[in-house]
Amino acid sequence: MNEPYLLLNLFFAGVVVLVIVYSGIFSPDRNDYPVACIHQKITGEPCFSCGLSHSFSLIVRGRIHEAYQWNIFGMRVFLFFILQLALRIGFSLYYIRFTDSGRPLIIMDSIGSGIMFLIAFWPFIMSIFKGFFEQV
Amino acid sequence: MEDVPNKSGSNLGIAALITAIITFVLAVIPCVGLIAIIPGIIAIVLASVGLSQAARSNSPRGVLIAGLIIGIFATLISASQVFVVTKIASSAGKWPMDIGNIIKDVQDNVVKEMDDQDISIKVDSSGTKVEIKAGAGKKDRAQKLEELEGGNTQKNDTLPKKK
Repeated sequence: MNEPYLLLNLFFAGVVVLVIVYSGIFSPDRNDYPVACIHQKITGEPCFSCGLSHSFSLIVRGRIHEAYQWNIFGMRVFLFFILQLALRIGFSLYYIRFTDSGRPLIIMDSIGSGIMFLIAFWPFIMSIFKGFFEQV
Repeated sequence: MEDVPNKSGSNLGIAALITAIITFVLAVIPCVGLIAIIPGIIAIVLASVGLSQAARSNSPRGVLIAGLIIGIFATLISASQVFVVTKIASSAGKWPMDIGNIIKDVQDNVVKEMDDQDISIKVDSSGTKVEIKAGAGKKDRAQKLEELEGGNTQKNDTLPKKK
């Protein structure tokens, strides 16, 4: 496989699978997550993304209501990852099947994924900018 | 003879783009956004090296430029978080110090005030009235207590008998 686009798709699909596996392995009941909130450790204040790992784990286990309680934005971020996994697989297959579709497909994918990213992470992005302008 | 564009810098471009996109995703998550500055710098370095290689060998630069732009954006977002957290942490570190100083000032003022004042304690129990007047100083209070107790001091008393 010598196509950069396919390599990128394969890599990001792997990353999303890792996120899902991480959410499945670590239990929200045992609270044994290896990644702690650095923001909270330093400032002592919880941030907008606190509870995201718990939320993902609960979504994987089908406990959606509890997932919303841990982080209200957990579901939209998780859906972004699931959609990206589907798109990486789908676009890769399309790219292999229709080799001529290369450039338009990559442009459409980039714009579409960018918009999806903004929708999914918008609350976090806004919180970062808000925090920055408050401190300046 | 036709110039064939070689793929020098292509692998660096892919590596830079992957690192930059991962950095971007990490940078917008406040919990881990602070550490995204490290892969962000790595992405910028990879893209820069790739671009210089591509410039020498006339190879395509699209992926490298994309990696560089995304890497710079991600690093800026992460740097802004480092700035915000540093500000919050420094102000949080200052507050407890201020509160400590205030408590110490109040304590010092109270002790100073009490040292200058006489304390009067009146006890009225079934017709028997006892009045203790003393300054706040420990020495004065001990003396008064000694005088009041006189010869009735028991063995278990906390005050040692004067020799």
